[in-house]
Amino acid sequence: MTCDAVRKLIPLYYYGELTPDEEDQAEAHTHECSACAREMESARALAAALDRRRMEAPASLLADCRADLAAAVRGAAAEPARKPWTLWLDAWGATLAGFTHWRQPLGAAALIAVGFFAAKLVPAGAGGVSTASFVPSEGVFVNVRSAQPDSNGRVRIAYDETRRREAYGTVDNQEIQKLLLAAAHEEDDPGVRVESVALLKDRAGSGEVRDALMNALLHDSNPGVRLKALEGLKPLAAEPPVRGALSQALQFDDNDAVRMQAVDLLTMRRDDAIVGMLQNLVQRDDNGYVRSKCEKALKEMNASIGTF
Amino acid sequence: MLDATGTAGARVSPDVDSLVRAAQRGDQDAFEQLVRAYDQSVLRLAMNLLRSPEDARDVYQEAFLRVYRNLHAFRFDCSFHTWLYRIVTNICLDQLRKRKVRKEESAVVETSEGVIDRTDGYEEEAAAANPERMTWNRQLGQRIDDALEGLTPRERMVFELRHYQGLRLRNIGEILGTTEEAAKNCLFRATQKMRTRLGDLV
Repeated sequence: MTCDAVRKLIPLYYYGELTPDEEDQAEAHTHECSACAREMESARALAAALDRRRMEAPASLLADCRADLAAAVRGAAAEPARKPWTLWLDAWGATLAGFTHWRQPLGAAALIAVGFFAAKLVPAGAGGVSTASFVPSEGVFVNVRSAQPDSNGRVRIAYDETRRREAYGTVDNQEIQKLLLAAAHEEDDPGVRVESVALLKDRAGSGEVRDALMNALLHDSNPGVRLKALEGLKPLAAEPPVRGALSQALQFDDNDAVRMQAVDLLTMRRDDAIVGMLQNLVQRDDNGYVRSKCEKALKEMNASIGTF
Repeated sequence: MLDATGTAGARVSPDVDSLVRAAQRGDQDAFEQLVRAYDQSVLRLAMNLLRSPEDARDVYQEAFLRVYRNLHAFRFDCSFHTWLYRIVTNICLDQLRKRKVRKEESAVVETSEGVIDRTDGYEEEAAAANPERMTWNRQLGQRIDDALEGLTPRERMVFELRHYQGLRLRNIGEILGTTEEAAKNCLFRATQKMRTRLGDLV
Protein backbone atom coordinates (compact mmCIF):
# COMPACT_ATOMS: atom_id res chain seq x y z
CA MET A 1 0.00 0.00 0.00
CA THR A 2 1.35 3.44 -0.91
CA CYS A 3 1.70 6.32 1.55
CA ASP A 4 -0.97 8.26 -0.38
CA ALA A 5 -3.46 5.43 -0.06
CA VAL A 6 -2.73 5.07 3.65
CA ARG A 7 -3.16 8.79 4.31
CA LYS A 8 -6.64 8.55 2.83
CA LEU A 9 -7.48 5.84 5.35
CA ILE A 10 -6.10 7.53 8.45
CA PRO A 11 -9.14 9.62 9.45
CA LEU A 12 -11.43 6.64 8.93
CA TYR A 13 -9.00 4.45 10.87
CA TYR A 14 -9.26 6.80 13.79
CA TYR A 15 -13.05 6.58 13.76
CA GLY A 16 -13.04 2.78 13.40
CA GLU A 17 -14.78 3.01 10.03
CA LEU A 18 -12.40 0.86 7.97
CA THR A 19 -13.08 -2.70 6.86
CA PRO A 20 -10.95 -5.27 8.76
CA ASP A 21 -8.78 -5.68 5.63
CA GLU A 22 -8.16 -1.96 5.25
CA GLU A 23 -7.41 -1.71 8.94
CA ASP A 24 -4.78 -4.47 8.72
CA GLN A 25 -3.14 -2.84 5.73
CA ALA A 26 -3.04 0.57 7.38
CA GLU A 27 -1.54 -0.86 10.55
CA ALA A 28 1.06 -2.90 8.66
CA HIS A 29 2.10 0.17 6.67
CA THR A 30 2.42 2.56 9.61
CA HIS A 31 4.48 -0.05 11.40
CA GLU A 32 7.06 0.22 8.64
CA CYS A 33 6.70 3.87 7.63
CA SER A 34 7.57 6.47 10.26
CA ALA A 35 6.16 9.39 8.22
CA CYS A 36 2.71 7.77 8.08
CA ALA A 37 2.99 6.79 11.75
CA ARG A 38 3.54 10.46 12.57
CA GLU A 39 0.55 11.34 10.42
CA MET A 40 -1.55 8.86 12.36
CA GLU A 41 -0.36 10.35 15.63
CA SER A 42 -1.18 13.90 14.58
CA ALA A 43 -4.66 12.81 13.46
CA ARG A 44 -5.14 11.43 16.96
CA ALA A 45 -3.82 14.62 18.56
CA LEU A 46 -6.12 16.75 16.40
CA ALA A 47 -9.11 14.64 17.38
CA ALA A 48 -8.16 15.02 21.04
CA ALA A 49 -7.95 18.81 20.64
CA LEU A 50 -11.34 18.83 18.93
CA ASP A 51 -12.79 16.81 21.80
CA ARG A 52 -12.11 19.71 24.11
CA ARG A 53 -14.40 21.88 22.03
CA ARG A 54 -17.45 19.76 22.85
CA MET A 55 -20.33 21.90 24.09
CA GLU A 56 -22.91 20.81 26.62
CA ALA A 57 -26.30 22.48 26.75
CA PRO A 58 -26.89 24.13 30.13
CA ALA A 59 -29.52 22.42 32.27
CA SER A 60 -31.64 25.58 32.44
CA LEU A 61 -31.79 25.63 28.63
CA LEU A 62 -33.19 22.10 28.58
CA ALA A 63 -35.80 23.09 31.17
CA ASP A 64 -36.77 26.13 29.08
CA CYS A 65 -37.02 24.02 25.94
CA ARG A 66 -39.28 21.54 27.68
CA ALA A 67 -41.49 24.34 28.97
CA ASP A 68 -41.70 25.85 25.46
CA LEU A 69 -42.73 22.53 24.02
CA ALA A 70 -45.31 21.91 26.72
CA ALA A 71 -46.82 25.32 26.03
CA ALA A 72 -46.89 24.79 22.28
CA VAL A 73 -48.39 21.34 22.56
CA ARG A 74 -50.98 22.71 24.96
CA GLY A 75 -51.87 25.32 22.36
CA ALA A 76 -52.25 22.65 19.72
CA ALA A 77 -54.21 20.54 22.15
CA ALA A 78 -56.99 23.08 22.16
CA GLU A 79 -57.89 22.05 18.65
CA PRO A 80 -61.50 20.80 18.84
CA ALA A 81 -61.56 18.52 15.79
CA ARG A 82 -59.51 15.72 17.37
CA LYS A 83 -60.92 15.22 20.78
CA PRO A 84 -59.12 12.13 22.07
CA TRP A 85 -55.77 13.67 21.21
CA THR A 86 -56.87 16.95 22.67
CA LEU A 87 -57.54 15.47 26.03
CA TRP A 88 -54.33 13.53 26.43
CA LEU A 89 -52.20 16.26 24.96
CA ASP A 90 -53.73 18.76 27.28
CA ALA A 91 -53.01 16.46 30.18
CA TRP A 92 -49.51 15.86 28.92
CA GLY A 93 -48.92 19.56 28.52
CA ALA A 94 -50.06 20.10 32.06
CA THR A 95 -47.78 17.36 33.40
CA LEU A 96 -44.79 18.66 31.55
CA ALA A 97 -45.52 22.20 32.60
CA GLY A 98 -45.85 21.03 36.16
CA PHE A 99 -42.27 19.97 36.56
CA THR A 100 -40.62 22.73 34.59
CA HIS A 101 -40.85 26.32 35.56
CA TRP A 102 -42.72 28.63 33.22
CA ARG A 103 -40.42 31.40 32.30
CA GLN A 104 -42.49 32.15 29.24
CA PRO A 105 -45.99 30.88 30.00
CA LEU A 106 -47.15 31.13 26.40
CA GLY A 107 -44.97 33.25 24.27
CA ALA A 108 -42.69 32.88 21.34
CA ALA A 109 -43.19 29.16 21.59
CA ALA A 110 -46.85 29.39 20.92
CA LEU A 111 -46.16 31.42 17.82
CA ILE A 112 -44.80 28.39 16.03
CA ALA A 113 -47.89 26.44 16.89
CA VAL A 114 -50.14 29.03 15.32
CA GLY A 115 -49.59 28.10 11.69
CA PHE A 116 -50.50 24.51 12.43
CA PHE A 117 -53.30 25.45 14.72
CA ALA A 118 -54.88 27.96 12.39
CA ALA A 119 -54.51 25.74 9.38
CA LYS A 120 -56.34 22.93 11.12
CA LEU A 121 -59.00 25.17 12.52
CA VAL A 122 -59.91 27.05 9.40
CA PRO A 123 -60.86 24.42 6.80
CA ALA A 124 -63.09 22.72 9.35
CA GLY A 125 -65.50 25.59 8.74
CA ALA A 126 -65.43 26.12 12.46
CA GLY A 127 -69.06 25.03 12.88
CA GLY A 128 -70.44 28.32 14.06
CA VAL A 129 -67.36 29.23 16.03
CA SER A 130 -66.56 32.88 15.51
CA THR A 131 -62.98 32.41 14.37
CA ALA A 132 -63.14 34.28 11.09
CA SER A 133 -61.27 37.24 12.48
CA PHE A 134 -58.61 34.91 13.92
CA VAL A 135 -57.47 33.70 10.52
CA PRO A 136 -54.19 35.53 9.95
CA SER A 137 -54.49 37.36 6.66
CA GLU A 138 -51.44 38.37 4.70
CA GLY A 139 -49.30 40.83 6.59
CA VAL A 140 -50.92 40.12 9.93
CA PHE A 141 -49.02 38.09 12.49
CA VAL A 142 -50.61 36.63 15.55
CA ASN A 143 -48.97 35.57 18.76
CA VAL A 144 -51.21 33.31 20.80
CA ARG A 145 -51.11 34.11 24.50
CA SER A 146 -53.54 31.48 25.74
CA ALA A 147 -55.83 28.83 24.34
CA GLN A 148 -58.52 27.29 26.54
CA PRO A 149 -60.95 24.60 25.36
CA ASP A 150 -64.36 24.63 27.06
CA SER A 151 -66.77 21.76 27.62
CA ASN A 152 -68.76 22.53 24.41
CA GLY A 153 -65.77 21.77 22.22
CA ARG A 154 -65.15 25.44 21.54
CA VAL A 155 -61.94 27.27 22.18
CA ARG A 156 -61.22 30.64 23.70
CA ILE A 157 -58.04 32.19 22.36
CA ALA A 158 -56.27 35.33 23.47
CA TYR A 159 -53.77 36.62 20.96
CA ASP A 160 -51.74 39.68 20.09
CA GLU A 161 -51.87 40.88 16.54
CA THR A 162 -49.07 42.55 14.65
CA ARG A 163 -49.92 44.20 11.35
CA ARG A 164 -47.36 44.66 8.61
CA ARG A 165 -47.36 48.09 6.99
CA GLU A 166 -45.07 49.69 4.50
CA ALA A 167 -43.35 53.03 4.52
CA TYR A 168 -41.80 54.24 1.31
CA GLY A 169 -39.57 57.21 0.74
CA THR A 170 -36.00 58.51 0.67
CA VAL A 171 -33.62 58.15 3.60
CA ASP A 172 -33.85 61.91 4.10
CA ASN A 173 -37.55 61.59 4.89
CA GLN A 174 -38.03 62.16 8.63
CA GLU A 175 -40.48 59.30 9.06
CA ILE A 176 -38.24 56.85 7.21
CA GLN A 177 -35.26 57.97 9.24
CA LYS A 178 -37.19 57.53 12.48
CA LEU A 179 -38.11 53.97 11.50
CA LEU A 180 -34.52 53.19 10.55
CA LEU A 181 -33.21 54.58 13.81
CA ALA A 182 -35.66 52.42 15.73
CA ALA A 183 -34.78 49.35 13.66
CA ALA A 184 -31.06 49.99 14.11
CA HIS A 185 -31.22 49.30 17.78
CA GLU A 186 -34.47 47.55 18.57
CA GLU A 187 -34.89 44.96 15.89
CA ASP A 188 -34.10 41.36 16.92
CA ASP A 189 -32.92 40.30 13.49
CA PRO A 190 -29.27 41.35 13.01
CA GLY A 191 -29.82 41.33 9.23
CA VAL A 192 -32.37 44.14 9.60
CA ARG A 193 -30.05 46.05 11.94
CA VAL A 194 -27.20 45.80 9.41
CA GLU A 195 -29.45 47.10 6.64
CA SER A 196 -30.80 49.93 8.77
CA VAL A 197 -27.37 51.05 9.87
CA ALA A 198 -26.10 50.74 6.28
CA LEU A 199 -28.88 53.02 5.06
CA LEU A 200 -28.29 55.52 7.84
CA LYS A 201 -24.53 55.62 7.58
CA ASP A 202 -24.46 58.22 4.81
CA ARG A 203 -26.57 60.56 6.93
CA ALA A 204 -24.15 60.62 9.86
CA GLY A 205 -24.06 64.41 9.63
CA SER A 206 -27.27 64.50 11.66
CA GLY A 207 -26.56 64.29 15.39
CA GLU A 208 -29.27 61.73 15.96
CA VAL A 209 -27.90 59.41 13.29
CA ARG A 210 -24.34 59.88 14.57
CA ASP A 211 -25.46 58.92 18.07
CA ALA A 212 -27.28 55.88 16.74
CA LEU A 213 -24.14 54.79 14.86
CA MET A 214 -21.98 55.26 17.96
CA ASN A 215 -24.51 53.34 19.99
CA ALA A 216 -24.49 50.50 17.45
CA LEU A 217 -20.68 50.46 17.40
CA LEU A 218 -20.44 50.17 21.16
CA HIS A 219 -23.44 48.06 22.03
CA ASP A 220 -24.66 45.96 19.12
CA SER A 221 -24.02 42.26 19.67
CA ASN A 222 -23.54 41.58 15.97
CA PRO A 223 -20.11 42.40 14.45
CA GLY A 224 -21.66 42.98 11.00
CA VAL A 225 -23.74 45.81 12.46
CA ARG A 226 -20.73 47.26 14.29
CA LEU A 227 -18.70 47.24 11.07
CA LYS A 228 -21.43 49.07 9.18
CA ALA A 229 -21.59 51.64 11.99
CA LEU A 230 -17.83 52.15 11.66
CA GLU A 231 -18.19 52.85 7.96
CA GLY A 232 -20.74 55.51 8.75
CA LEU A 233 -18.50 57.11 11.36
CA LYS A 234 -15.53 57.32 9.00
CA PRO A 235 -16.16 60.92 7.84
CA LEU A 236 -16.61 61.98 11.46
CA ALA A 237 -13.44 60.36 12.77
CA ALA A 238 -12.06 63.76 13.80
CA GLU A 239 -14.92 64.58 16.20
CA PRO A 240 -14.03 64.04 19.87
CA PRO A 241 -17.12 61.99 20.85
CA VAL A 242 -16.62 59.74 17.82
CA ARG A 243 -12.94 59.32 18.66
CA GLY A 244 -13.98 58.30 22.17
CA ALA A 245 -16.27 55.62 20.77
CA LEU A 246 -13.57 54.45 18.34
CA SER A 247 -11.06 54.18 21.18
CA GLN A 248 -13.52 52.12 23.20
CA ALA A 249 -14.09 49.80 20.25
CA LEU A 250 -10.36 49.49 19.58
CA GLN A 251 -9.62 48.54 23.16
CA PHE A 252 -12.58 46.36 24.03
CA ASP A 253 -14.27 44.95 20.94
CA ASP A 254 -13.64 41.20 20.72
CA ASN A 255 -13.96 41.16 16.95
CA ASP A 256 -10.72 41.51 15.00
CA ALA A 257 -12.26 43.17 11.96
CA VAL A 258 -13.90 45.83 14.14
CA ARG A 259 -10.62 46.62 15.88
CA MET A 260 -8.78 46.69 12.54
CA GLN A 261 -11.25 49.24 11.19
CA ALA A 262 -11.18 51.25 14.41
CA VAL A 263 -7.39 51.51 14.44
CA ASP A 264 -7.43 52.66 10.82
CA LEU A 265 -9.89 55.43 11.55
CA LEU A 266 -8.14 56.56 14.72
CA THR A 267 -4.68 56.72 13.17
CA MET A 268 -5.75 58.55 10.01
CA ARG A 269 -4.56 61.72 11.70
CA ARG A 270 -1.89 62.50 14.25
CA ASP A 271 -3.32 62.57 17.76
CA ASP A 272 -1.01 62.74 20.76
CA ALA A 273 -3.91 61.97 23.09
CA ILE A 274 -3.98 58.35 21.97
CA VAL A 275 -0.25 57.61 22.36
CA GLY A 276 -0.71 55.79 25.69
CA MET A 277 -3.48 53.62 24.30
CA LEU A 278 -1.44 52.75 21.19
CA GLN A 279 1.61 51.83 23.28
CA ASN A 280 -0.56 49.61 25.37
CA LEU A 281 -2.11 47.91 22.32
CA VAL A 282 1.28 47.26 20.70
CA GLN A 283 1.97 45.10 23.72
CA ARG A 284 -1.27 43.30 24.21
CA ASP A 285 -3.62 43.26 21.20
CA ASP A 286 -4.18 39.75 19.85
CA ASN A 287 -4.30 40.91 16.26
CA GLY A 288 -1.11 41.34 14.25
CA TYR A 289 -2.59 43.99 11.96
CA VAL A 290 -3.75 46.10 14.90
CA ARG A 291 -0.34 45.84 16.56
CA SER A 292 1.57 46.81 13.43
CA LYS A 293 -0.79 49.68 12.72
CA CYS A 294 -0.33 51.02 16.26
CA GLU A 295 3.42 50.65 15.95
CA LYS A 296 3.44 52.53 12.64
CA ALA A 297 1.36 55.38 14.05
CA LEU A 298 3.65 55.66 17.07
CA LYS A 299 6.71 55.82 14.84
CA GLU A 300 5.13 58.56 12.74
CA MET A 301 4.53 60.54 15.91
CA ASN A 302 8.11 59.87 17.02
CA ALA A 303 6.71 58.27 20.15
CA SER A 304 8.37 55.29 21.73
CA ILE A 305 6.89 51.90 21.02
CA GLY A 306 7.04 50.57 24.54
CA THR A 307 5.70 52.15 27.72
CA PHE A 308 8.74 51.19 29.84
CA MET B 1 -34.15 2.41 31.23
CA LEU B 2 -33.79 3.94 27.83
CA ASP B 3 -30.41 4.68 26.44
CA ALA B 4 -30.67 8.03 24.75
CA THR B 5 -27.04 8.80 24.11
CA GLY B 6 -27.60 9.12 20.40
CA THR B 7 -26.53 5.59 19.64
CA ALA B 8 -29.80 4.23 20.95
CA GLY B 9 -31.45 4.41 17.55
CA ALA B 10 -28.76 2.41 15.88
CA ARG B 11 -29.67 -0.49 18.13
CA VAL B 12 -33.44 -0.10 17.56
CA SER B 13 -34.49 -0.72 21.09
CA PRO B 14 -37.83 -2.55 21.37
CA ASP B 15 -38.67 -0.17 24.21
CA VAL B 16 -38.53 2.77 21.83
CA ASP B 17 -40.75 1.03 19.29
CA SER B 18 -43.39 0.28 21.85
CA LEU B 19 -43.23 3.82 23.17
CA VAL B 20 -43.75 5.14 19.64
CA ARG B 21 -46.73 2.83 19.13
CA ALA B 22 -48.21 3.90 22.44
CA ALA B 23 -47.69 7.58 21.61
CA GLN B 24 -49.34 7.01 18.22
CA ARG B 25 -52.35 5.61 20.08
CA GLY B 26 -52.48 8.76 22.16
CA ASP B 27 -50.62 7.73 25.31
CA GLN B 28 -49.37 10.96 26.85
CA ASP B 29 -46.80 9.32 29.09
CA ALA B 30 -45.27 7.55 26.14
CA PHE B 31 -44.88 10.76 24.17
CA GLU B 32 -43.34 12.48 27.12
CA GLN B 33 -40.92 9.60 27.63
CA LEU B 34 -39.96 9.67 23.97
CA VAL B 35 -39.19 13.38 24.17
CA ARG B 36 -37.21 12.93 27.36
CA ALA B 37 -35.29 9.98 25.97
CA TYR B 38 -33.94 11.98 23.06
CA ASP B 39 -34.20 15.66 23.84
CA GLN B 40 -30.84 16.00 25.55
CA SER B 41 -28.94 14.61 22.59
CA VAL B 42 -31.02 16.70 20.18
CA LEU B 43 -30.27 19.85 22.15
CA ARG B 44 -26.57 18.99 22.39
CA LEU B 45 -26.40 18.46 18.61
CA ALA B 46 -28.09 21.81 17.93
CA MET B 47 -25.93 23.58 20.49
CA ASN B 48 -22.69 22.15 19.09
CA LEU B 49 -23.63 22.95 15.52
CA LEU B 50 -25.07 26.41 16.02
CA ARG B 51 -23.15 27.50 19.14
CA SER B 52 -26.05 29.64 20.25
CA PRO B 53 -28.52 28.75 23.01
CA GLU B 54 -31.31 30.75 21.33
CA ASP B 55 -30.88 28.97 18.01
CA ALA B 56 -30.62 25.60 19.74
CA ARG B 57 -33.86 26.35 21.57
CA ASP B 58 -35.61 27.13 18.28
CA VAL B 59 -34.34 23.90 16.74
CA TYR B 60 -35.54 21.88 19.73
CA GLN B 61 -38.98 23.40 19.55
CA GLU B 62 -39.42 23.04 15.83
CA ALA B 63 -38.08 19.48 15.77
CA PHE B 64 -40.30 18.10 18.51
CA LEU B 65 -43.36 19.92 17.21
CA ARG B 66 -42.76 18.30 13.84
CA VAL B 67 -42.44 14.95 15.59
CA TYR B 68 -45.66 15.61 17.43
CA ARG B 69 -47.54 16.55 14.27
CA ASN B 70 -46.20 13.74 12.13
CA LEU B 71 -45.78 10.84 14.51
CA HIS B 72 -48.99 9.25 13.23
CA ALA B 73 -47.33 8.98 9.80
CA PHE B 74 -44.21 7.20 11.10
CA ARG B 75 -44.29 3.67 9.66
CA PHE B 76 -41.20 2.06 11.25
CA ASP B 77 -39.33 1.78 7.95
CA CYS B 78 -36.29 3.10 9.83
CA SER B 79 -35.59 3.45 13.54
CA PHE B 80 -37.33 6.24 15.42
CA HIS B 81 -33.90 7.69 16.19
CA THR B 82 -33.06 7.93 12.47
CA TRP B 83 -36.44 9.45 11.70
CA LEU B 84 -36.05 12.01 14.49
CA TYR B 85 -32.50 12.86 13.40
CA ARG B 86 -33.66 13.36 9.81
CA ILE B 87 -35.98 16.04 11.11
CA VAL B 88 -33.36 17.62 13.38
CA THR B 89 -30.54 17.60 10.83
CA ASN B 90 -32.78 19.15 8.18
CA ILE B 91 -33.64 22.02 10.48
CA CYS B 92 -29.99 22.50 11.51
CA LEU B 93 -28.73 22.35 7.91
CA ASP B 94 -31.22 25.06 6.94
CA GLN B 95 -29.91 27.23 9.76
CA LEU B 96 -26.27 26.63 8.82
CA ARG B 97 -26.95 27.45 5.18
CA LYS B 98 -28.74 30.66 6.07
CA ARG B 99 -25.82 31.66 8.27
CA LYS B 100 -23.30 30.89 5.56
CA VAL B 101 -25.10 33.19 3.15
CA ARG B 102 -25.23 35.95 5.75
CA LYS B 103 -21.56 35.50 6.60
CA GLU B 104 -20.43 35.60 2.98
CA GLU B 105 -22.40 38.77 2.42
CA SER B 106 -20.48 40.55 5.15
CA ALA B 107 -17.06 38.89 4.82
CA VAL B 108 -15.34 41.66 2.88
CA VAL B 109 -13.99 44.57 4.89
CA GLU B 110 -12.42 47.74 3.67
CA THR B 111 -9.41 49.10 5.54
CA SER B 112 -7.12 51.96 4.66
CA GLU B 113 -4.77 49.33 3.22
CA GLY B 114 -7.45 48.32 0.71
CA VAL B 115 -10.12 45.67 0.70
CA ILE B 116 -9.30 42.57 2.67
CA ASP B 117 -11.18 39.37 3.22
CA ARG B 118 -12.09 39.21 6.86
CA THR B 119 -12.01 35.43 7.04
CA ASP B 120 -8.49 35.36 5.57
CA GLY B 121 -7.47 38.03 8.03
CA TYR B 122 -8.49 35.84 10.93
CA GLU B 123 -6.39 32.97 9.68
CA GLU B 124 -3.27 34.97 9.01
CA GLU B 125 -3.66 36.67 12.32
CA ALA B 126 -4.04 33.41 14.19
CA ALA B 127 -1.12 31.79 12.40
CA ALA B 128 1.15 34.75 13.06
CA ALA B 129 0.11 35.19 16.67
CA ASN B 130 2.69 34.75 19.33
CA PRO B 131 1.41 31.88 21.47
CA GLU B 132 2.53 33.71 24.61
CA ARG B 133 0.38 36.65 23.72
CA MET B 134 -2.84 34.95 24.68
CA THR B 135 -3.60 31.81 26.49
CA TRP B 136 -3.22 28.71 24.44
CA ASN B 137 -6.75 27.61 25.17
CA ARG B 138 -8.33 30.75 23.86
CA GLN B 139 -6.27 30.64 20.72
CA LEU B 140 -7.00 26.99 20.14
CA GLY B 141 -10.71 27.39 20.84
CA GLN B 142 -11.02 30.27 18.43
CA ARG B 143 -9.08 28.47 15.73
CA ILE B 144 -11.12 25.31 16.09
CA ASP B 145 -14.32 27.34 15.81
CA ASP B 146 -12.98 29.05 12.69
CA ALA B 147 -11.95 25.73 11.19
CA LEU B 148 -15.41 24.29 11.87
CA GLU B 149 -16.97 27.40 10.31
CA GLY B 150 -14.86 26.76 7.22
CA LEU B 151 -16.59 23.47 6.49
CA THR B 152 -19.63 23.28 4.22
CA PRO B 153 -22.88 22.75 6.15
CA ARG B 154 -22.99 19.13 5.03
CA GLU B 155 -19.36 18.42 5.98
CA ARG B 156 -19.99 20.12 9.28
CA MET B 157 -23.02 17.93 9.89
CA VAL B 158 -21.25 14.66 9.05
CA PHE B 159 -18.28 15.63 11.19
CA GLU B 160 -20.53 16.61 14.09
CA LEU B 161 -22.54 13.40 13.95
CA ARG B 162 -19.43 11.22 13.72
CA HIS B 163 -17.00 13.01 16.01
CA TYR B 164 -19.20 14.54 18.69
CA GLN B 165 -22.33 12.41 18.55
CA GLY B 166 -20.52 9.13 17.91
CA LEU B 167 -22.90 7.87 15.20
CA ARG B 168 -21.69 5.30 12.66
CA LEU B 169 -21.21 6.50 9.09
CA ARG B 170 -23.81 4.02 7.83
CA ASN B 171 -26.37 5.54 10.16
CA ILE B 172 -25.28 9.08 9.22
CA GLY B 173 -25.80 8.23 5.54
CA GLU B 174 -29.26 6.96 6.34
CA ILE B 175 -30.12 10.11 8.30
CA LEU B 176 -28.87 12.45 5.59
CA GLY B 177 -30.48 10.44 2.80
CA THR B 178 -27.23 9.38 1.20
CA THR B 179 -24.91 6.34 1.06
CA GLU B 180 -22.32 5.28 3.60
CA GLU B 181 -19.70 5.85 0.93
CA ALA B 182 -20.80 9.46 0.40
CA ALA B 183 -20.79 10.05 4.16
CA LYS B 184 -17.27 8.57 4.27
CA ASN B 185 -16.05 10.94 1.55
CA CYS B 186 -17.67 13.85 3.30
CA LEU B 187 -15.98 12.97 6.60
CA PHE B 188 -12.66 12.62 4.78
CA ARG B 189 -12.98 16.07 3.21
CA ALA B 190 -13.95 17.55 6.57
CA THR B 191 -10.96 16.06 8.39
CA GLN B 192 -8.62 17.13 5.58
CA LYS B 193 -9.81 20.71 5.85
CA MET B 194 -9.41 20.65 9.61
CA ARG B 195 -5.91 19.24 9.23
CA THR B 196 -4.96 21.98 6.80
CA ARG B 197 -6.27 24.70 9.08
CA LEU B 198 -5.16 23.27 12.40
CA GLY B 199 -2.20 21.10 11.44
CA ASP B 200 0.40 23.36 13.04
CA LEU B 201 -1.31 23.07 16.41
CA VAL B 202 -0.89 19.34 16.86
